[in-house]
Amino acid sequence: MKTIDAKAKGLKAVNSTLKKLLNGQPVAVKNASHLHGLGAGLKHGEVVINGSAGDYLGVLNSGATIKVIRNAGKYVADNMTAGTVIVEGSTEYGAAQYCYGGAVVVRGDAGDFTATMNKGATVIVCGDVGDEAGTYMLKGDLIVVGDAGKDFANYLIRGSVYLGGKWKSLGHNTQVEPLTDEDIAKLRAYFEKYEIDADPTVFKKIVAASEKPFYN
Amino acid sequence: MAAIGAFCVSVNREICINARMPGKCATCAEVCPHGVYALDPITGEMNVQNFNACVGCRICAEFCPANAIRINPAESEYVSRYPWTLAAVEEIHYKAQTGEYMLRGFGTIGPTPNFDTITVVPSQIASAAPLDKYREECDMEVVIGEDTCDKPIRLKAPFVWAAMSFGALSKEAKMALAIAAAQTGIATNTGEGGLVPEEAWLSRGYTDKERTRKKWEPGGYLIVQWSTGRWGVSVDYVNAGDAVEVKIGQGAKPGMGGHLLGAKVTEDVSRVRGVPVGSDALSPCRYYDVQSLEDMKHMVAFLRDVTDYQFPILFKLGPSRPYADVAACIEAGADAISIDGLMGGTGCSPDIVTQGVGIPTIACIPPAVQALKDCGVHHKVKLIALGGIRNGLDTFKAMALGADAVGFGSAAEIAMGCRVCYACQKGNCPYGITSQKPEMRARLDPVEAGKRLANFIHACTEELKILTMLSGHRRTADLSPEDLRAMDLNTAAITGLKLIGYERPLAMWEPDYLPVVDVSGDGRHGRNGHNGRKKVGARNKRSS
Repeated sequence: MKTIDAKAKGLKAVNSTLKKLLNGQPVAVKNASHLHGLGAGLKHGEVVINGSAGDYLGVLNSGATIKVIRNAGKYVADNMTAGTVIVEGSTEYGAAQYCYGGAVVVRGDAGDFTATMNKGATVIVCGDVGDEAGTYMLKGDLIVVGDAGKDFANYLIRGSVYLGGKWKSLGHNTQVEPLTDEDIAKLRAYFEKYEIDADPTVFKKIVAASEKPFYN
Repeated sequence: MAAIGAFCVSVNREICINARMPGKCATCAEVCPHGVYALDPITGEMNVQNFNACVGCRICAEFCPANAIRINPAESEYVSRYPWTLAAVEEIHYKAQTGEYMLRGFGTIGPTPNFDTITVVPSQIASAAPLDKYREECDMEVVIGEDTCDKPIRLKAPFVWAAMSFGALSKEAKMALAIAAAQTGIATNTGEGGLVPEEAWLSRGYTDKERTRKKWEPGGYLIVQWSTGRWGVSVDYVNAGDAVEVKIGQGAKPGMGGHLLGAKVTEDVSRVRGVPVGSDALSPCRYYDVQSLEDMKHMVAFLRDVTDYQFPILFKLGPSRPYADVAACIEAGADAISIDGLMGGTGCSPDIVTQGVGIPTIACIPPAVQALKDCGVHHKVKLIALGGIRNGLDTFKAMALGADAVGFGSAAEIAMGCRVCYACQKGNCPYGITSQKPEMRARLDPVEAGKRLANFIHACTEELKILTMLSGHRRTADLSPEDLRAMDLNTAAITGLKLIGYERPLAMWEPDYLPVVDVSGDGRHGRNGHNGRKKVGARNKRSS
């Protein structure tokens, strides 16, 4: 695997080298935590971030697989449309916002406003999420294995939110539904795929109460 | 303001076909999209059922075969009962009945400080002689991103179409704007509702996706908007245009995000935006993925990166604290900054916000220009004035105050046929401009409307040329505040322009009139809202 040492290099230099090297082989990047927007807009390939990543990792990702060995900063996988982002550690504020597709897996904890305005991606947090996670989600799945903070899934419009632990408070326009066999099979498939140790049968499923909660 | 109860519907029953022959004509009920008229199914008689529902679009009057309908504003009420006008009374009744506040489209209603109290100073014998509009040339080109990106935008005239989204506007209206941009060499803007695929080639002058046939010369530009709702945004979307505009706010509802009510979220709109059909698409008021100016700088950096450093990055501001906001945009790395004044329009907003929030356009420009000057980038980072710009005269005044170009939003809709009924949010636009209904959209031909828009730009370009040359300039870039005079104290105080007759700026604009800048940082004494920012000069540095 080729490795880019990003130490003391700027975003333009590292991202352009990354795009050139991504030709059917995975590429590793190290010393990149100072870069915000690393791997922006990639359409294919496999990238491994050795160490931690800065903010906006994999923003506008449209097909690449990006794996972070340690932690990611704010807004990881922002506005992703396809691909996979896996963070072995934790993420800060606003992971997986505005995503239209693809999958984001955070093995540790995720911060406030995780998966805000999710429009079709699958977002899995193996630890806890902060406040306002899943705000104004419009499609897709948000799966939190641990606990959630305040206003969980606030103003949910569409899609499904699954919680293994407890919430501090549940958001507006939500209702809890019993898990169906399809839900359990879906969760089990995700857990097997991403090697997550969790029992799908204990999860709570949250769906929208209405698709039009704002104006009559 | 005047969202209901603002119009009186009068039907002259002596010539109304239905009044004479019940059942013979129901044109008004058929064309009215607002339920003002009702046809009695038993007697066949037509009646005005709901006066308050009339928004003044006048489609009934235009279609009435007997020319029997008159729609008049309830103007006398405004005079005789102000502030308790019929509209105010009916609005309170509406709220009392429903518990809901009023929503409406378009911009601020009623008088606000505007360009009309500024006059243009022509050249005579003491200053440089006027130039001949008919027989001499005038350079109007505006270049955005000349020193910062590989493919700068070169506007043939200092105009852009303001950002208006697909969803707020029909697909046909979006196509018309693109066609007009191609015919005039200016830029159209996707707005925040994703890309209408045709915009990408129509705006460049091509009739087909493969770009084999260029029909419209010289070809224009497409600005793609990056906004807080991120509707329809992908890496391909941001690369579909010639520039990326980062929307911070807009004049009609600064501090709030875009509003697209469920009535306009059809299957097509739903597909682009990822919102369920019929669900309200309400953009966030801020970027969920920006918490600081540092974050915004990183956002600009990755937008430049994903567009391969080819395109300019623009910012669009609502009218808040023009000096500080423009300075922040410069710091974030903008190539151009649009500032949208109080009069800026919208497809939908809470009435009280459109009516009562924000700074008028003429008051936004001088502080914005001062920020550009203090940062050493005036005319390098381009300033685009938006909000209530109607013609070449407003354009000249905005540019002489220091803007590099202007944008038309409301005026563009009117050029396409809009009658300003303030009901865009309902999705019933009978002219097919702001409706998503197939029967309304069928009334708007994109090529014909595109021609009207191009004609409008051509006319405004000529107006701007007249004014530029009669004031002794060969380039619109050479205009300055010396080419203008304020016609009243208020305007002189707001703009710093010389007052007619007095021939000087008001004393408050003279150097050293006020003591030094606030350094407390508490914002209470800051000039131009800059709150004691470092790079900022005192007001006495402002040029007149």
